[in-house]
Amino acid sequence: MQANTSTTKKAGSINNAFASHFAKSMFLSVLGLLILSFIGTRMFTHVDLNLYGYMVGTIVFIGGFFYRFIAWGERPPAKIFIKKGIKLLFRKSTPQTTAEHLITYRFIWNRGIYRWTQHILIGFGCILSCFVTFPLVFGWMYFTMDDNGMYNIIFMGIQVMTVSAEGIIAQLSYNALNITAVMVITGVCMVLYRRLKNMQARAEQTFMYDFLPLIMLLLVSVTGLALTFMNMFLHGAGQPFMSLIHQWSVIITLIYLPFGKLAHIPFRPLSVFARNYREHYMEQAPKPCKVCGDYFVSVEQSNDVINVLGTNDIEFAKKEGFHLAELCLPCRRKYRIAQFSGFPTHQVKVKEANQNANG
Amino acid sequence: MNKRLYLELENCIGCRSCLAACTQCGGHDERNRNYVYDVNPLVNTQTMPLMCLHCVNPACARSCPAQAIQIHETGAVLSALVEKCIGCQNCTIACPYGIPKFDTEQNLMYKCDLCIDRSKDGIPPMCASVCPTNTLQWLTDEEIERKQKQFNVKNDKWVTSIHLENETNVRVNLPGILQGITKLY
Ligand code: SF4
Ligand code: SF4
Repeated sequence: MQANTSTTKKAGSINNAFASHFAKSMFLSVLGLLILSFIGTRMFTHVDLNLYGYMVGTIVFIGGFFYRFIAWGERPPAKIFIKKGIKLLFRKSTPQTTAEHLITYRFIWNRGIYRWTQHILIGFGCILSCFVTFPLVFGWMYFTMDDNGMYNIIFMGIQVMTVSAEGIIAQLSYNALNITAVMVITGVCMVLYRRLKNMQARAEQTFMYDFLPLIMLLLVSVTGLALTFMNMFLHGAGQPFMSLIHQWSVIITLIYLPFGKLAHIPFRPLSVFARNYREHYMEQAPKPCKVCGDYFVSVEQSNDVINVLGTNDIEFAKKEGFHLAELCLPCRRKYRIAQFSGFPTHQVKVKEANQNANG
Repeated sequence: MNKRLYLELENCIGCRSCLAACTQCGGHDERNRNYVYDVNPLVNTQTMPLMCLHCVNPACARSCPAQAIQIHETGAVLSALVEKCIGCQNCTIACPYGIPKFDTEQNLMYKCDLCIDRSKDGIPPMCASVCPTNTLQWLTDEEIERKQKQFNVKNDKWVTSIHLENETNVRVNLPGILQGITKLY
């Protein structure tokens, strides 16, 4: 279904650009990771080879991510938002929009408190886990222990803190992943419950798109917690095996991420771009409707949409001398009624009314 | 048996049952996604419904930067995927019929999905199930063809197919009253 909405017309030229873009992005990221690890591990003297599998998984993930992102970014509408969004990144409202869209998820709150709670639990559970694990995997952060029962936390090769092995910070860092695992498990259970109960969800969901990522997240969290459990209560029995399953599930999740439902995580920042784009161009030049004269969108967006449709060979220019994207929504609907009936409904100066039923 | 939504516009009496029914569909969050308009509001009572026509090459989906509007295998053009929609409102500008609605609070577009939880199993969408005047019907292609034959009197006065902007999965018909002609059935 994904392919349905992408253009196939210019496949040749896309592929050309794609190969070079892809190679370039890939090269730069892997190089960046290598340099960071080189610094972080004090010239590779503190590499934790137990974490080697994750490293490979991450690199495969980066490859998949660029593949998906670049293919997607080549679609005409996406290209416009990326290009203009970057230009408009430094608006005054950007920090607030970013916080609302990417940290507090205000719009999800407005969709429902249940959804917001599950999203916060899973989202922050995953993000915090990544903050803990990635620096460990790439050696950007590691611990050394002095004889006196104190831990040194080394970040990017610099000793940032010395904490008591029994202290609260140490406790928090040992248990960070356990806490996030519980968050993710709670969140995933809430989601699964909704998916099994909600009729619309049941109609639209598919196993690969909606359930697989949830099952993978559950597997990652449960095996992670199991590792702790085995450490604490079974003296490490079964640990090597469990750690393999855990590692495997993390790697599969990472590889799946760019192609399934979780792909919305790296794509979400685009919503900040979209908001900036709308606000900026609306301030610059609002577009009056060609029929009623009300401002309804920016001139820029109206033109961009017309061009994007043009690249898809869709053309809604009318004999009256306007393009349909130049009419506000009510006028565009009334214009349609006019086409149906032969009577110019859109010319009658009566405001649209009675269109919302109370459910 | 594949069925389509079929609109016989002139039957509409403006009762707005379809709007009310739309709010009650499983995933519609109690908000309707269709419209009913007065054709000549200050003069007569003729009304017509308007809803997503489920374009074969949908402008809304083509203009969406986030690939949030998916096309179901039945041809229904679905409402925005909640996790993908980035709230740019391109789709509302692109749709030639002005159908998609946008919720600024939720930063989310929503539109007619032909009650996909019903129609994918061949059950008519809510609007067609409640329409008391057969303006909205759920028919097979053969049934639609039969109707068009019945209406086509070849005297240039019957309009049996209306100019649309593009090819659509919903079929629209206007068999004649507005041309001052009495209906045959
Ligand atoms: S009628 Fe509008 S909303 Fe419906 S499929 Fe066509 S372009 Fe999309
Ligand atoms: S508002 Fe949402 S569904 Fe509509 S074009 Fe933008 S991202 Fe796509």
